[in-house]
Amino acid sequence: MADTQASLLLRKQLKDLTRRPVEGFSAGLVDDSNIFEWNVTIIGPPDTLYEGGFFNAIMSFPANYPNSPPSVRFTSEMWHPNVYPDGRVCISILHAPGDDPSGYELASERWSPVHTVETILLSIIAMLSSPNDESPANIDAAKQWRDARDEFKKKVSRIVRQSQEAF
Amino acid sequence: MESEEDMLDARSATSDDGFYPNNDDECDSDRMSMGYRYEEEDDDDGMDGDEDAYEDDFLQYGSDEDALHSGRPSYTGRQQLPYTVLTEEAITERQDAAIESVASVLSISRAQACLILRKHEWCVSRVNEEWFADESRVRNCVGLIEKSIKPSMTGQRDIREIKCGICLEYHRIETMQACCCDHYFCQSCWRAYAHTAICDGPGCLSLRCPNPDCNAAVGDELILKLVLEEDKRKYRHYITRSYVEENRRAKWCPAPGCEYAIEFTPGGDIQDVTCNCGHNFCWNCSEEAHRPVECVTVERWILKNSAESENMNWILANSKPCPKCKRPIEKNLGCMHITCTPPCKFEFCWLCLGAWSEHGERTGGFYACNRYEAEKKEGKHDETERRREMAKNSLERYTHYYERWASNEQSKAKALSDLKQLQITQLEKLSDKHSLPMSQLKFLVEAWLQIVECRRVLKWTYAYGYYLPENEATKKQFFEYLQGQAETALERLHQCAEKEVKAHLDGDASNVTFTDFRTKLAGLTSVTKNYFQRLVDAFENGLAEVKDSTAVNTTVQASVKGKCSRSKASSSRSNNASRVVDDEGHWYCRHCTFANTGCSTTCSMCHLETMI
Repeated sequence: MADTQASLLLRKQLKDLTRRPVEGFSAGLVDDSNIFEWNVTIIGPPDTLYEGGFFNAIMSFPANYPNSPPSVRFTSEMWHPNVYPDGRVCISILHAPGDDPSGYELASERWSPVHTVETILLSIIAMLSSPNDESPANIDAAKQWRDARDEFKKKVSRIVRQSQEAF
Repeated sequence: MESEEDMLDARSATSDDGFYPNNDDECDSDRMSMGYRYEEEDDDDGMDGDEDAYEDDFLQYGSDEDALHSGRPSYTGRQQLPYTVLTEEAITERQDAAIESVASVLSISRAQACLILRKHEWCVSRVNEEWFADESRVRNCVGLIEKSIKPSMTGQRDIREIKCGICLEYHRIETMQACCCDHYFCQSCWRAYAHTAICDGPGCLSLRCPNPDCNAAVGDELILKLVLEEDKRKYRHYITRSYVEENRRAKWCPAPGCEYAIEFTPGGDIQDVTCNCGHNFCWNCSEEAHRPVECVTVERWILKNSAESENMNWILANSKPCPKCKRPIEKNLGCMHITCTPPCKFEFCWLCLGAWSEHGERTGGFYACNRYEAEKKEGKHDETERRREMAKNSLERYTHYYERWASNEQSKAKALSDLKQLQITQLEKLSDKHSLPMSQLKFLVEAWLQIVECRRVLKWTYAYGYYLPENEATKKQFFEYLQGQAETALERLHQCAEKEVKAHLDGDASNVTFTDFRTKLAGLTSVTKNYFQRLVDAFENGLAEVKDSTAVNTTVQASVKGKCSRSKASSSRSNNASRVVDDEGHWYCRHCTFANTGCSTTCSMCHLETMI
């Protein structure tokens, strides 16, 4: 039953997004027969280091979505304090509620079934514009962001160029 | 402290219920149960002289019965215990009483009262105090939103359906639910939301409204209305558990499979606890009771004995204990800011294990710790290494103590099963065979309880002995002397209980009458008890007699006197039963346990006891 609910909800969201695209990203399925794997392209937000980039990512939804969060992994190269070296995105709203039932993340920052593909991707875009170096997933990137901003900028503009070429 | 006492007052009406779990069905309110017991007393008072005497005997017999079947050493049963054993029903009753009280005092619903209590360690007085000091702070912290007027729907009757924020489908308003806020979701989404939280563990007790911007807490009312039977059961179970786990005055009995909890009575001096399941444990460290040996010694010893040394090595190498609750934590991802899982929730720095509240930019941020670096330079972390090396060198010494510790543990387990066997079948057989009432066979149970208790004490003395410093030779000698004395007495008692009972059961012991056997066994029990009392006393004052030898006599005598008066009060038979003459014609003094030769009439050591 949970299975059908998840796929119904995902299909609904996909339909809505195709009908009324949201600025900043585009979304589709990796494989039309599998509603649980999405291919999304996030456009580097204007006035940030990532401006102009086209970053591909894969969203994998669990069978009990929306009660558990999907995972998001960049397939384009990414250099960001909150993205693991293997591309996985680490933001608090993608943390299952069980991970931290009443710990240091505020309730409003954790996963909630109210989140949709749209709200998740908007959160990732917000993450791109303001990295959070308080709990870094990529320690090297976080250090560079804090201590050697110029090198960080250089590295990011390289990956932005790369993403444009690949696009 | 004051608040804890208040708390006790508030609950005193129910505080005894844990002892009478079977009465729960008969009396559904505190008042009822009081009345029930009062009536019982009334009956007793109404007896005339003869019947009174009979009643006394009967009561005596009743408590013997208890001792016969509880497996609890008889001398702990009669004292006012500084703790209460709680069954699951008793916990629920206390929760209900607390909820009732908070709900009526604060004029809120029971579900809300339950939420508030869960956040305040189930302490009624604390809830009252904090609520009346700052109601909005409590409301905010728990997540109770004051009921605003129901959503705008009331004004717009034409809107019959609203969109559920989770499944994005439209549903009829009346089928939708919200907690104490205005965020309505459909029932199946609520059910799935609650189900996920319940499957994730006790964190479901602090479930909030699915809307990320809303702080409203989801109460038990709503959850129990929505979820399936299995989830209801789990959720109720978590609520019950929260009473014990979030409450510093209560603990679960650590025996495997035991479902009783122990609640400590404020103001009492608590050390060893006997659960209704028969398990004896230390309140402080939750290990098996180890009086007179200290918790630290026991902890070191148990860690040392851990048969899962490979696991231990892995845990040592790959995890660190939470600085607060001591559960081992493995760090596999992320920064140095660690938050322990509920109910502990302690936040600390992985490197220096200090509280996270003292960390930040100053100490190097989220992936370094200056404090740790400084401590490392001071050599603080070499200690574990050194200890490991020492243990290796003393392996042989360790084996000596370990073997004796383990064999006493084995004997204790055997004695416990023998005791069970005795209670189940042998007592009845003996009673039939020798035409004696069960109450006359109490001495057998007492002997076995004594054996179990002594094996336990003896076992721990080996752990103590292992850690006794090598350089304190006199202490060591004295300790070994006391231990040897006690051990010899115990072996004699154990032998007698094991072998001679068998003889009387099989019926080939015609040469020794059962009365003689009884006298002998009871005597040995009492003698062994004295030896162990002496050993325990010596341990508890840290073998201080080594420095002042006169202290021995006074402490031992004082404790023996105290015990005599107690045993007189409980049984008059034991006076005669205590005199025992062994195979070589020695009789043992009940005061100093000295073995006197058969011809003397007064104890030649302490001159206190006269042979009758």
